[in-house]
Amino acid sequence: MLGASISRWTMAYFAAALLCLLAALTAMAAGYGYPLAGLRAPETLVVVHLGAIGWLSLLMLGALFQFVPVLVGQPLRNPALVLPALLSLLMGLSLLLGGFLRLAGVVEIEFPLLALGGAFLIVGFATAMWPLTRTILDAPLLTLPTRFVVTGLACLVGTFLMGISFSCVLSGVAAAPALVELHTHAVPYHALAGFGGWLTCTAIGVSYRLLPMFMLSPDTERASGRIAWWSLSAALLLVVAVMPLMIMFGAMAGAAAVVVPLAGALAITALSLYGLDMVHLYRTRKRRRIELNVKAAGSAILALYGGAFLFVIAALRGTLDVHAGAITYLVALGWLSGLGLSQLYKIVPFLTWLECYGPVMGRKPTPRVQDLVVERRDGPWFILYFAGVVAGTGALLGEIPGLFRAAAAATLIAVIAIVTELVLARRLHNVAPGARLPEGARLPRLFLPAEIDR
Amino acid sequence: MSIPHRDLDVRPILRAGGEPFSVIMEAVEALTPGQSLRLLATFKPIPLFQVLGARGFTPSAREIGNGDWEVIFAPSGSAEPHEMPEPQMSQPSGADAWPPPTIELDNRDLDPPEPLVRTLEGVEQLPPGETLVALLPREPLFLFDELKARGYSWRGSLELDGSYRIVIHADGPGKKSP
Repeated sequence: MLGASISRWTMAYFAAALLCLLAALTAMAAGYGYPLAGLRAPETLVVVHLGAIGWLSLLMLGALFQFVPVLVGQPLRNPALVLPALLSLLMGLSLLLGGFLRLAGVVEIEFPLLALGGAFLIVGFATAMWPLTRTILDAPLLTLPTRFVVTGLACLVGTFLMGISFSCVLSGVAAAPALVELHTHAVPYHALAGFGGWLTCTAIGVSYRLLPMFMLSPDTERASGRIAWWSLSAALLLVVAVMPLMIMFGAMAGAAAVVVPLAGALAITALSLYGLDMVHLYRTRKRRRIELNVKAAGSAILALYGGAFLFVIAALRGTLDVHAGAITYLVALGWLSGLGLSQLYKIVPFLTWLECYGPVMGRKPTPRVQDLVVERRDGPWFILYFAGVVAGTGALLGEIPGLFRAAAAATLIAVIAIVTELVLARRLHNVAPGARLPEGARLPRLFLPAEIDR
Repeated sequence: MSIPHRDLDVRPILRAGGEPFSVIMEAVEALTPGQSLRLLATFKPIPLFQVLGARGFTPSAREIGNGDWEVIFAPSGSAEPHEMPEPQMSQPSGADAWPPPTIELDNRDLDPPEPLVRTLEGVEQLPPGETLVALLPREPLFLFDELKARGYSWRGSLELDGSYRIVIHADGPGKKSP
């Protein structure tokens, strides 16, 4: 059976997300976009949005449809909206990429593709947020992980509001001075709202719940976690709301010198406390031997601190303009994608196991969840993945485009291998044939939901 | 005019590694109408907020140093005590008449999904009319699905340490689905 607590379309979100990741890495390995093109060149925007919307946002939304009900202990509201949201987001992303290609001169049609794509994306994100928000509102109290998710969702709104205003300016449907001003100055805040707010804040929230679960650590809330949430939320309020409004009202010049360092200090406080909490969870764990997904998550968290360190250094030296690409690459590929892939490596087998063996659980012997994957075989792929990301970041910092393409190719190979392993887990390939399907169990579909017949 | 709080310090129990949940619930039962409970604990007892919130108490917590917490559970006005808001919970009709558990399981320190598997293994051995009690690491949403599909009744509550205690009743022959 497919229980009410298994999100029906999450695997479809994951499948679409992974295809976008493969496409984005292929483009980077082929030398498309940054660093051969400029940071704000249309080619770069194609790759960045393929990664940020296609891969990371679909991954995060798919995961939230599964985890928000678990976080708040309530079933998902309006689950019928989940599939239309996915379709609308994919449509919006295709139009958006088409619009960037039009800016690059590849596509020649007289049609405001960017504005239309932005509209589909707004509809898609709003349709996806509605069930999540209503489910969260059902919660009797907001636990710490849920609070981070709430801040993340609020930043998502800020990100796409700025995004739609840019797309209207770029496709020529709006020319109000305030919007033009916003497009000229607010692109960094759009990127911070997306990568630092929506994706990072949500990922932190999910990790506060998932990592103690997989390490068997006590997940009692500590004051450090609450302060981290407050300071990160305050930092993001400054970056996602205050700064863009200042820009629109022409008050940016004086404000930036105060607001941005303040936001930076708050964010550093939050990340330090988050790091201390993760170390605490690791130290108080009851599970001695750590599984591959937690080891890989540790590498991803290190990449977050690497990115934050580079950001601070670049800000102090005034080289943010030069190094923004490298820092974004490390945060997006090392931290967000690394954490995403590491948790997919656990979540996909886990959900597959539940879907397949749930009905016979306790009645017949079943394989263990660990039997769906072969950790010894997959560990090296994660090492190659993170090594590729670090080399790619180094190549961007050192401005060596050839090395960057080679590093992106190595990362791509690792992702192809990890995706292959996820498909094999989904097909129960690693389970001994005799034990694969006891009577009453059913082979799940690759990414479509099972029919409900029980 | 207000009735003085009833004080309960569970820190000695917690420091000794004990489980103060039953003591707290006894104290709650003993409150006179309109009276608040002042609880002292070694951590912020979030799970208890939910349990007592469902009984019509509003918590206000403050840290009092050394990582200790003072929480005042005040009756929230006209709120009638009610069951925990848990839509998946099957109706425990005549739940008070359930016999004491014949099977007891502590599945707290197991890897997911082992707590689920062990609990369902126990459930499958349960003769009709008898009950099983299990301690689980957290609220087991996936287990609720399976119990519902297999036709069992259950009652559950969050414990002070964040774990979940569930009592499962085999309702008798003919009710289980395949």
